[in-house]
Amino acid sequence: MNFHKLRLTRRGFLKVTGATAGAISIGSNILDFKQWVEASIQTPIQKIPTICNGCGNRCGINAFVKNGRVWKIEGIPEANGNLGVVCPKGHGYLHDLYSPYRIKGPLKRVGDKFQSISWEQAYQEIAQKINLIILQNGPQSIFWVNYPQSNHLYALRLMHALGSPHYFTHGSTCYTARNAGWVTTVGELPSVDLSNSKYIMIIGRNPAGAIDLGQVKRIIEAKSKGAKLVVVDPRHSETAIIADEWIPIKPGTDLALLLAMINIMVKEELYDKKFVAEKTIGFDQLEEQIFNYPPEWAEKVCEVPSKTIIRITRELAQAKPKALIHRGYHGAFGAQYLNSFQTVRALAIANSLLGNINREGGIYFPKVAKLGELQPNHPAPELPKVGKLDGTGVPGRYPLGSYGDGIAHAIPELALRGELIGGFVYHYNPLRTNPNPKRVIAGYKKLELLVVIDTVLSETASIAHYVLPESFYLERTEAIDTKHSGKRAQVSIQQQVVKPMYNTRPGTQIIIELAKHLGIGKYFNFDIDEANRLRLKPLKVTLEELKEKGVLFVGEEWKEGFDKLETPSGKVEIYSKTLEKLGFPAIPRWEEPLVSPDPKDPHSFRLIHGKQAIHTHSMTANQPILMSISHRYDLIRLWMNKKRGEQLGIRDGDWIKVKSIIGEGKIRVRLTEGIHPSCVWLPSGYGIFSKHLKVAYDIGLSYNDFLPTYFDPTVGHVMASEIIVNITKI
Amino acid sequence: MPRYGMVIDETKCVGCHACRVACHNQNNLEEKEAYNHLEEREYGKFPNFTREFLPVQCQHCDNPPCVKVCPTGASHKRKDGVVLVNKDKCIGCKYCIAACPYNVRIIKKEGYIEKCRFCIEFVEKGEMPACVTTCMTGVRMFGDLDDPESEISKYIIKHRLKQYKAELNTKPRIYYRKG
Repeated sequence: MNFHKLRLTRRGFLKVTGATAGAISIGSNILDFKQWVEASIQTPIQKIPTICNGCGNRCGINAFVKNGRVWKIEGIPEANGNLGVVCPKGHGYLHDLYSPYRIKGPLKRVGDKFQSISWEQAYQEIAQKINLIILQNGPQSIFWVNYPQSNHLYALRLMHALGSPHYFTHGSTCYTARNAGWVTTVGELPSVDLSNSKYIMIIGRNPAGAIDLGQVKRIIEAKSKGAKLVVVDPRHSETAIIADEWIPIKPGTDLALLLAMINIMVKEELYDKKFVAEKTIGFDQLEEQIFNYPPEWAEKVCEVPSKTIIRITRELAQAKPKALIHRGYHGAFGAQYLNSFQTVRALAIANSLLGNINREGGIYFPKVAKLGELQPNHPAPELPKVGKLDGTGVPGRYPLGSYGDGIAHAIPELALRGELIGGFVYHYNPLRTNPNPKRVIAGYKKLELLVVIDTVLSETASIAHYVLPESFYLERTEAIDTKHSGKRAQVSIQQQVVKPMYNTRPGTQIIIELAKHLGIGKYFNFDIDEANRLRLKPLKVTLEELKEKGVLFVGEEWKEGFDKLETPSGKVEIYSKTLEKLGFPAIPRWEEPLVSPDPKDPHSFRLIHGKQAIHTHSMTANQPILMSISHRYDLIRLWMNKKRGEQLGIRDGDWIKVKSIIGEGKIRVRLTEGIHPSCVWLPSGYGIFSKHLKVAYDIGLSYNDFLPTYFDPTVGHVMASEIIVNITKI
Repeated sequence: MPRYGMVIDETKCVGCHACRVACHNQNNLEEKEAYNHLEEREYGKFPNFTREFLPVQCQHCDNPPCVKVCPTGASHKRKDGVVLVNKDKCIGCKYCIAACPYNVRIIKKEGYIEKCRFCIEFVEKGEMPACVTTCMTGVRMFGDLDDPESEISKYIIKHRLKQYKAELNTKPRIYYRKG
């Protein structure tokens, strides 16, 4: 079914076996790589479109299968998110399909060891325990946390059917400050129209390292048309390499830079007056307060020369409205500092002053496919009667926190307080990716029931009571996906490319089967194909069409401009009454980071972090091909400013000790001129401590080992760069 | 007959290694094997600083030292410009590895020598090399250097591109654009 029309689009050389339907069965020689290489020369090749699972971008790919074994992947040219290209993680991660570290069947903890059990036994025992916990403690004591997959809707449905509000994403460790800042100011999280922009300023975001393929391709396109790219980052990031200008800022002070830029725009009347008059509220109050922040003040705070700030601001304004300051992700203000929320507010306001909101070449509201509902065919469960206990959306706690995301790193705290008793962790590894691992381990170990759904024995899976093995992404068909938003919306589908090698099951199937054993099967009386058909219905495309192409455009084209935003006033809220009522500054004002390095102590640094192009979170470090690149190019090291290193007698490549108030570790140093002297930079993705993952075990460090458990007062994010470390030569 | 060559735009390389891993899959390489590698260089003092990556692979030289020193004719130059190793003739003496100034040849487990093949089996069927198509910044351009009207030929002339270590008179078929 997938291949009927491939001949029309295939390049001539591939012989497609039209008779094969569905996934390809496993040949007997599948595991012997060398035999397979020999056998596969001149054999027919199948090409099946699907969605990559190597990170959260979910790029559209074609998987090529030779002799029942996945050979390679290529990008789907139309896919909004990756425009035909694939990153190193995507190419490397596909090999995890054949990894000896895969979990081959359901596991139950007995003492210190895991015992193989059947799916039926696992479901029965888990259901019994969950129902007992609910009986004794109420349904709100059960949680589900995941790094969202396309099937998160079904996980949410499962929790609601049980009566629990406790569905969490990883958001509080990643992006919740960014989202809240944008939502407060313009009503939703926008995108960036990079390819049509004439002037692109990026603060902290690093799409060429923490890879966003579509964004990088669009930046290159803009640059080929003459756009200027300015990158503000304490480290000379991978995006800085392709920038026209790198502005190394003192970390934690981006807010000062933005306030000064707004100051200049107001003082020199560089802003879009028509847009400000018609589409914003609170400009007068901004005008009154912003005079506190001239560029000369900002220079002292953020260590960017005032004349640079003035020049960049004038250049941006000259290019407006086809000019933008990138909306950001994790880096700089996603969940980094005490002042991150106000930084995003200032950033959104600076963009608004450029009049670029929902304009070509500026900030825009992408088209997202609006999928159909499962109801009325499959009625939804009632909403839980109690709210989340983590304080998201509660005045006095984390009032601007995203209720949908919850605060994932509050789970260990709620467990230690006895408020969460049992839960599911799916496609997520909080023991490694949440701050303060000792505390996280203590919290998760306190649970009476921990069920982990994963493909390998991660740190979190290692301490679970039950481990349910999910099929690898190339082995399973999943819920249709709307991740590929853009100037025109797309739907996409992750579909089975090869049959499962082991006794594993797709995530959605596991959710449905769990529900049936838990006695809430009436809400899950469907399979993934039926659910996909129902959800596709309003889009006027069939499941068969989608499976054939992998990615399809749907709906209307994006149009410039807007009548009314999703904010309370319907306008850009430069002044926010919502914030005023909650007791937060209604107009952005300077806030110090929570902690700062001691300028008099040569051993004192701020610890910042970021992604490398070859690793995703904690999930690729055990991939031998990707890890061999880390070793070959010495990428596991900590970046330190050369002069600062020399002051401490540290040479390039030396081992050092890093110590914060909660942890310490040893690592080698990369001495470089490409980083601000006040900080050191640690690549994320290393520091694996699951003994089951032998390729990655005990190699490198994770910033989470040094980060105390913090909850910022606006959204409850982790404040991931509020870390001061003491560094000494070993 | 086309005579193939490549342009590598160093100013666009961000060092992500997608080319290496795409090549790995395309050519069914073993875990630590690679046909291309990156040389990273730093310039300047903080805050006036930049760095760049130099992607290096077999340069498919027109005056290939590897071919000259090969005692069996395993390393050979084809009419389409591509330098290949015939694994059946290769005795694994490693003379070519010593002679190649670009350090891009590897020893396969079976004992013969291999290196970038310009994905020639795929190029002959109308595709582009894997390192070209996977790159998010479009570092590489591939085409017929003998055709004066080809995009690549025009690009080389327009930007006056030069080869890597051209002074060694190896006459490489890869041209580099520098910052």
